[in-house]
Amino acid sequence: MKLRTHALLAAALVSAPGWSQDFSLTSTTIAQMWKQDAPGFDKATFTPATQYLGIDVTNLYRDEISLHLFGWGRADLGDASMPNGSKSSGELTYGYVSYRFKEANAEIKAGRFTVNQGVAIEQVDGASFRADLVGGFTVSAFGGRPVLYKVRDYVSNKDYDYQRDVIAGFRVGLRVPKFGEFGVSYLVDGTKPAKDLPIPSATDYTREQVGLDLRIAPVASFDLSGRTVLDVADHTETAATRANKPSKIAEHDYAATFRINGSWALTGAYTQRNYYAFFAGTNLPTLFRQDEKDKFRAFGGSVVYGGGGPVEVVADYRHTTRDAFGDSNRFGATLRWNLEKQKIQTGFSYHRVTTDDATLVDPARPAFGLSHHEARAWAMAERGRLFGSVDAIVQRYDDEKNPYLNGKPNLFETVASLGVSLSKNAKLSGDLSYATNPLFKKDVRGLLRLEYRFVSARKGAGK
Amino acid sequence: MNRKNLLLAFATALCVLVMTACSMLAPGTSWAPTHPEELGQGRPLCSSCHGDEAMKGGYKAYASFDHTDAFVKNHRYQANQDAGTCATCHSQSFCSDCHGGKVPMTPATLNANRPDRDMPHRPNYLAIHRMDGKLDPSGCFRCHGRANNEKCTACHR
Repeated sequence: MKLRTHALLAAALVSAPGWSQDFSLTSTTIAQMWKQDAPGFDKATFTPATQYLGIDVTNLYRDEISLHLFGWGRADLGDASMPNGSKSSGELTYGYVSYRFKEANAEIKAGRFTVNQGVAIEQVDGASFRADLVGGFTVSAFGGRPVLYKVRDYVSNKDYDYQRDVIAGFRVGLRVPKFGEFGVSYLVDGTKPAKDLPIPSATDYTREQVGLDLRIAPVASFDLSGRTVLDVADHTETAATRANKPSKIAEHDYAATFRINGSWALTGAYTQRNYYAFFAGTNLPTLFRQDEKDKFRAFGGSVVYGGGGPVEVVADYRHTTRDAFGDSNRFGATLRWNLEKQKIQTGFSYHRVTTDDATLVDPARPAFGLSHHEARAWAMAERGRLFGSVDAIVQRYDDEKNPYLNGKPNLFETVASLGVSLSKNAKLSGDLSYATNPLFKKDVRGLLRLEYRFVSARKGAGK
Repeated sequence: MNRKNLLLAFATALCVLVMTACSMLAPGTSWAPTHPEELGQGRPLCSSCHGDEAMKGGYKAYASFDHTDAFVKNHRYQANQDAGTCATCHSQSFCSDCHGGKVPMTPATLNANRPDRDMPHRPNYLAIHRMDGKLDPSGCFRCHGRANNEKCTACHR
């Protein structure tokens, strides 16, 4: 982001309280510390300090206008903790002005914001609009430039933008009272031909997707939700080199919930993903290969007991199949206990994962297992101005000769946190974590967290 | 279609859409911008106060927003259809803890004092992510496929 943009934002932040009726500021300052002393790595002490800052200004001149800003900055006070060696970084996560109509849930946004509509879950520098229309229709649209991140070009440490010069999309929905909602959405991300890039690419990384989503809930006790996403980009660069035409279906993703007596619920889910279409548009093609012909399918379900009482119990099962790998099953149970009067919450879970063996191109060890057990326990409590939590998780892998485990089939991590409310608006807390895993025999980390929240409501009170 | 034409077509369509939509706005007031009541600790169940009542507009029951375990795992469906409903209680920064395009630390580290939020990537996920990746890399793609992959690129070049 250019200097003048920073200056403009800073000016907006400083003067914001003067313009508005309601102003809120949230700030979280985090100081971390851990040491690295592992074979193959340089000895180092990391002490990054991170500042999150969020500002919401509502009733800006008029009730309908509001301003929302959120971002973070990080600086390493010791050795550089990021792999690219930089000792500082930051990001404006969002910063936009919103005009929210008093009718029809209509809203216009301009600036940097996250779009979440149909197939699009994007960060955009641009503008968006949504509204409810007569007849049960809804409409939303956005357009602008995709927010890019410094992740690809290792020489200049700047993002290689591939073909992502423009991003736009829309969704049209129809709400049928006492039945559900249906939507059609469209997204285009990038228009530049791959052959015209500074480094011409044989792969087309543009995205052009169409989504169909639905929610069927004829009664309060049942709902079926899901979506199908189609990759409708031409991919002309790669089309000529493909022997078999891959599926245009990127994803089917559906889930149903059936609630019984307010205390019990049954859920079921089905997912299918075709990697060629699903991975289209990635900026990490070495990991998410767009020429991948693989396919993934999963189904599962759960039985939930709870319904607003202090105890919630969930028993769940999920079966997955990946063509290139094989099958896996995950099953287990989770218990959550919420004692609201005593200000105590706790939870326990156990899961078992069984999988087919993974294969290696190694005649000495052609296959190894990934099956394992996982257990977790946590608790939170509040007493007067003090609050604290403990969270422990353990995994035990069956195959001790799994090469990814470095001979350590047991993984363990526990985090203890203790905090104090300094005032109505400020909290100070500290975390200490201890872990043992295949990478580190002993991994001890400390964290200090100062949270501050200021809310002014000059018009009225207690909002 | 080149970039200029695409932008022009989209801008024209957007203007037509906005003008058309403004002339066809549904009657009735918008949802409250913020939830009028303070919520208690733990995951809220909308139906505990609203019962089987339908939301404004009569198309969805409040019960379908009950924050059960199933809802938390599948909240993307609700968010994709209408993120405005989420915004009544959650500021966008709540979502950005996990869904920010670039974050300085894992959600589990940032929220280590909130184990009730069941944040992903524990224990020391760097040590075991290769195994989950073998089972299903599309699970990684949702967050790291086009953003949040600065650390991934250190090895996956």
